[in-house]
Amino acid sequence: MAASGGGRRDPLAPSGIPCAFSPRGQHYFSLAGPDGHLRVWETASSRLHQDFVPSAHLSATCTCLAWAPPRSPAKEGPQRKKRKSEAVGTSDQVDLLAIGTAVGSILLYNTVKGELQSKLVSGGHDNKVNCIQWHQDNDCLYSCSDDKYIVEWNTQTCRVKCKWKGDISSVSALCISPDGKMLLSAGRTIKLWDLETKEVYRHFTGHATAVSSLIFTTIRPLNESQPFDGITGLYFLSGAVHDRLLNVWQIRSENKEKNAVMSFTVTDEPVYIDLTLSENKEEPVKLAVVCRDGQVHLFEHILNGCCKKPLTSNCTIQIATSGKDKESTPTPIPILAAAFCSDKQSLLLVYGSHLQPAIERVSLNSKEPHMCLIRDINCWTPKIGIAVTKVRTPIMNSEAKVLGPGIPGHHAAIKPTLETEKTESKRRLKENEQISIEERLGAMDIDTVKEKRKGDLKADSYPVLLVQGLESNDCYMLNKVLQTRKDTLIRNTVLRIPVYAVIPLLNELTKRLQGHPNSAVLMVPWLKSVLTIHASYLSTLPDLVPQLGMLYQLMESRVKTLRKLSRLHGKLILLITQVAASEKTQGVPQPEQTAKLVYEEESSEEESDDEVMADKNSDENWEEDEERESEKDEDDDDEDDDDDDEQEIDQDTENGEDKEMALEKEINGDSDLDPENESEEE
Amino acid sequence: MVAEENLRVVRSGGSKLNFRRAIFSIDSKYLFCVSGDFVKVYSTTTEGCVYVLQGHSNLVTGIQLNPQNHLQLYSCSLDGTIKLWDFVDGILIKTFVVGCKLYGFFAPVHLEDSVFIIINKETPDEFQLASMKLPKSPSQEVEVKELSFVLDYINQSPKCTAFGREGQYVVAARDLYLSVYFFKKKKTFRFSLPSESKKNCNNIFTCVACHPKEDCIATGHQDGRIRLWRNFNDNRNYTYTSLHWHHDIVMDLAFSVEGTSLLSGGRESVLVEWRGGIEKNKEFLPRLGGTIEHISASPGGDLFCTSHSDNKIMIIHRNLEVSAIIQGLVKDSIVNTGLMIDPRTKALVMNGKPGHLQFYSLQNDKQLYNLDIIQQEYVNDPGLVHIELMKAAFSSRGNWLATVEQRQEKEAELELQMKLWEFNEQQQGFILNTRINMPHEDHITALCFSDIENSETPSLVTTSKDGHFKVWILTDDSDIYKQAMGWTCDFVGSYHNYQATNCCFSEDESLLAVSFEEIITIWDSATWELKCTFCHRPGKIKNLCFGRQTCSKYLLGTTEKSFLCCWNLLTCTLEWNVQLNVTVLEPDPNSDNIAAVSWFSGGSDLFVFKPSEPRPLCIQKSICREKVQCAVFVPRDVPESFISEDYQWLNKSQFYFLNESQDLMTFSTKSPEEKLTPTSKQLIAEESLPTTPFYFLLGKHRKQQETKPDEVPEHELIYHPSATDIPAISELLQTPAHVLPSASFLCSMFVNSLLISKGTKSAEEVPDEVEMESEQATDDSDEENNISEIAQNAINDTDIGDEIPQISKTQEKTLRKLRKVDYSWMCAL
Repeated sequence: MAASGGGRRDPLAPSGIPCAFSPRGQHYFSLAGPDGHLRVWETASSRLHQDFVPSAHLSATCTCLAWAPPRSPAKEGPQRKKRKSEAVGTSDQVDLLAIGTAVGSILLYNTVKGELQSKLVSGGHDNKVNCIQWHQDNDCLYSCSDDKYIVEWNTQTCRVKCKWKGDISSVSALCISPDGKMLLSAGRTIKLWDLETKEVYRHFTGHATAVSSLIFTTIRPLNESQPFDGITGLYFLSGAVHDRLLNVWQIRSENKEKNAVMSFTVTDEPVYIDLTLSENKEEPVKLAVVCRDGQVHLFEHILNGCCKKPLTSNCTIQIATSGKDKESTPTPIPILAAAFCSDKQSLLLVYGSHLQPAIERVSLNSKEPHMCLIRDINCWTPKIGIAVTKVRTPIMNSEAKVLGPGIPGHHAAIKPTLETEKTESKRRLKENEQISIEERLGAMDIDTVKEKRKGDLKADSYPVLLVQGLESNDCYMLNKVLQTRKDTLIRNTVLRIPVYAVIPLLNELTKRLQGHPNSAVLMVPWLKSVLTIHASYLSTLPDLVPQLGMLYQLMESRVKTLRKLSRLHGKLILLITQVAASEKTQGVPQPEQTAKLVYEEESSEEESDDEVMADKNSDENWEEDEERESEKDEDDDDEDDDDDDEQEIDQDTENGEDKEMALEKEINGDSDLDPENESEEE
Repeated sequence: MVAEENLRVVRSGGSKLNFRRAIFSIDSKYLFCVSGDFVKVYSTTTEGCVYVLQGHSNLVTGIQLNPQNHLQLYSCSLDGTIKLWDFVDGILIKTFVVGCKLYGFFAPVHLEDSVFIIINKETPDEFQLASMKLPKSPSQEVEVKELSFVLDYINQSPKCTAFGREGQYVVAARDLYLSVYFFKKKKTFRFSLPSESKKNCNNIFTCVACHPKEDCIATGHQDGRIRLWRNFNDNRNYTYTSLHWHHDIVMDLAFSVEGTSLLSGGRESVLVEWRGGIEKNKEFLPRLGGTIEHISASPGGDLFCTSHSDNKIMIIHRNLEVSAIIQGLVKDSIVNTGLMIDPRTKALVMNGKPGHLQFYSLQNDKQLYNLDIIQQEYVNDPGLVHIELMKAAFSSRGNWLATVEQRQEKEAELELQMKLWEFNEQQQGFILNTRINMPHEDHITALCFSDIENSETPSLVTTSKDGHFKVWILTDDSDIYKQAMGWTCDFVGSYHNYQATNCCFSEDESLLAVSFEEIITIWDSATWELKCTFCHRPGKIKNLCFGRQTCSKYLLGTTEKSFLCCWNLLTCTLEWNVQLNVTVLEPDPNSDNIAAVSWFSGGSDLFVFKPSEPRPLCIQKSICREKVQCAVFVPRDVPESFISEDYQWLNKSQFYFLNESQDLMTFSTKSPEEKLTPTSKQLIAEESLPTTPFYFLLGKHRKQQETKPDEVPEHELIYHPSATDIPAISELLQTPAHVLPSASFLCSMFVNSLLISKGTKSAEEVPDEVEMESEQATDDSDEENNISEIAQNAINDTDIGDEIPQISKTQEKTLRKLRKVDYSWMCAL
């Protein structure tokens, strides 16, 4: 019957798959699947601990499971004096599991050794064992069966201690009272037996179908005024096959009514019940009922007296797959068992297939009446042939964000200080408006010039393209322009773009620099020429620091490791450009933009004092500079841009030598001249 | 708790499992290994610890099965005793007191009642092999006095001593010498290797193993060579062949039971199986984790086991498949991360295997798993600089994990990477969310999370030696490609370019304290404004923490100049300070207590105090001799109720600490006796398996066999007389072919010689079998066929030297009985 299953449950079976948590901390979860295998899982890591196949697993399938109460490992012979530090742990060992089978035998399985310890057969049941209960204190085991008998076993000798007829039909469930002196059995009716005399003490009637579970919910009566005889006043709970009501009964003096005092309603037949015992009057009993439909219902109730109306659950827990993928719709994942952790605040849930269940600890602090947990179970099929390993690999997929130096987010964004932010932004708006008028004029100028020169220079179309691309944010257009490698073309293009396009261009360049190194190589000449040519414009912007902070950080981080090299490079470039400039002063094409303001640098003479102090090399430079300065004075109107260029170079030489200036330290070697630096200078 | 015992320090997490070779029981069901002062008995199938044999008062240095009774185990210890255990029940049977430190123990099978021990001579580095006879007296404790020395100048490690075939000789190696002592001749041969040969190899012996069937010795060497020695009963004509695969030191060697293959392992963590002692014929089992330190083979020949430097034992099947791993707390690496508690699983988290975080369940004292953070195959080579896992932190609900890894090959080349892992509930595992390359320009000194229960954006603070601390926040940085949450830097703070050393959030997370060398700065976590600074010169700040709960207005710090200071945050003044060399300062998350562990040359002391009260709650002097590295409070699932004021601080949490020798310790109030016999709940179920049908057939005869005195007891392998023992065969094999008579003549003689005992047997067996077959024919089911076949086999096996007709009759009876009695288990099929 059970062998035919394979995966589906027999619809007529009284309850779900037999499964049990180990007592004291629920470190293990054992489950006897319909395939006849007994599997034990570690709850903390949801790892398969062991897989045991009883010898007659196909005929004598497992029908119930019960963990033995914790016991100590075998005592040593002589007691010796212990050292001060000895091992902790190994105190209470949970290792014995009683397995009831369909043919009436009971197996005692040692989970630590992984072998069968004993088999209780002789004089026992000759039909299906329905329930096994260990006695808490002595080595007794109680079992009930379809053959109508209840048997008391001595587990040490593996013999029957006592056997009596429990009911006129099969006995389906057992429960031992908290004090260990009474036994509840459920057959046609629920009976309370005195274990000493094996006589019926009370009868309870109410369930229409076979009772599948019995459990005591209190360990002492709430009414403390009366003397407690160990049993009177206690409550117990029963669930039955095909019954959506769980009944609570109270053991009272004989002549009172024998019906249930209250009932809990659930959505389907209960499969697994766990509860926390309340220790005092105020603390409610917490009850977790796993139903056949795979839901868990949680009840929290203080048991005191009768209640006619069935109580509904405080909280329902369901688990489903996420339906986010294309083809899959959310499907519910059945919960197989649930148990309260020892802190009573969290619940261990076992869900998924019985071949590969997942075990999870869920904390119960939410007050919501319905919890739906979304879980992916990609392990529906049992894993076969995986090497034994105790390593877990966390998932590292490409979706993870990667931050490196220079990428936004790696370093805090440079923000203006908080107090001035608002006022500044207002000011910025105004300035923008003001500037834009000027710029418009300037732009018109450029346009006119451009139209004139259209035939001459190929680069003419480039500035237009670039500006359009920047405005429309057209990737194609930008790529076309920015992927050129010719230095002169780049330089000319940058020379010709209107000033209002400079900042967008810089932002675009920054964005592209963060990308692939190959594309960054292409962007560097652009950046260089933008910074050299438009430095004067950039230095006029008041909010340059926040605007180009990212670029600054990027550059700083990129050249950090090459500090000395780039310093040398900077100096060489300086020399070369100066030499070249001095040679070609006449050959330079005249800038198209007429200067709106010509600023004569006087400070260079003042600065020269410092430079004399600083270094000999700079002396030479300075002399050269002066020569050129004088040259420039002659035709300064024309060489507006070049002038700017040189000013920068001046500053750069300064930076090269002046080591005391902490702020510029990082920029010292940068061959690319930094806008921020300039802004601070001026 | 009525009478509370004194608070005692107890060890947790177990000791090293890889100190000595693990050994198997005869049936390969159990594995024994030494672990500190104990011997642990593990089940090879379930990896579970079946028994802990405790009784030695010092390190256990050797274990061996009793050759006379394979259900007993000898163990020797530095406390000078040899103990005999019954490992089936975990009972101590006998103690032999030798009286000097024992470093190794051997009980060769063929040398009857004499056993061998390695003891120390007067000088510290001189060890001797001595033999002694264990007296047979009924008393529990016996003193052994007679020791006779066998070999001098041997290695301390029992790996370098081995007993040869049938106990004829003993081999010991040390440095460049190999000594072989023959017991019968009472003669010692010594062989030496050149210290440095041409090929620049290092010939120092590291381990020795003897072939179980042949006169062959295998030795391992420092340079990775394995030498197979033969003809060593001659000082000159000895030969050796060498096998070379290992590129580094050979850590251990073991022969399989029959000697057909040799196993070797070393730092490469590859188990090499050399088949037939030929260099070409080898098989590998690679990537086993840590260095292989010991190898042993089971007597049944079906299992091997390797002990590794990362405190684990791997049980490997004969076909080189790992079947089980017994893993202790990994103690190989330096614990850079300190001790943490995973808020979800309540497991202790610390550095594990290289590049891994280990999760250790304190409740059942068992390692849960190793989380592979670095995800790079670890190449065990001394020359390589590896990526190390330096720091890790969990957010308060355990849904975020931050890890910092670093690799520094040279002074200037520092590689840093910070990874932020999110716990995905759907997949029940960590998923990488953000990877940050070079989060700082220098070493990261501390990191801490701040996420109060209801806040949506957790933040992380990292401090670094580069003088900055960075605040990382979780932001939505969805772009056109994907919608994702990622971590970005929100704020960078610094204070006068001092190195940032520690950071810590206050309990309500409104304040952040960052220490910059000598100065503590307090920042407002909402605006990242510097609020105030504290300083207690001279001395840099070592530890930093805020008070909890009622004491949340206090900030505590310790300085290198042995001061413990407490500042009041409301008044911004120093509340009190104490001169105390504190190494660890740890607040209890569940109460307002703070634990400080101080260290002096004498040992470590523990102080538990409330910042608001001048008097400490509890002082525990000398909790351990070494310096305490790190400590953590572990919240209890079920609060204890200690009434005594001294222990109240342990009510809600348990205190664990790790000392420099990497022992994890905690406090316990239970007395050891209480622990050993917890109440009356002793339930020792007797092993009583009912008789199976096979038992009716086999069991009875086995019993009969056992009664016979001349039978070899319980040897797994069926005894086959070797070819040379039988004259007919040796004649056949040794006579030249041209003088042999015809094959037909030899055949009957040859076959007869192969039959084991009585000549009359074969004649009577034939009708018996016929009978059985007729029975088979009448049988209905296939299963019964099986049974009768097995029965036949049983007859063949068991009728040695017994009167056959009688046996067959009894068997018939039993078979008939069987037919009547017990078929229920088959019917179901």
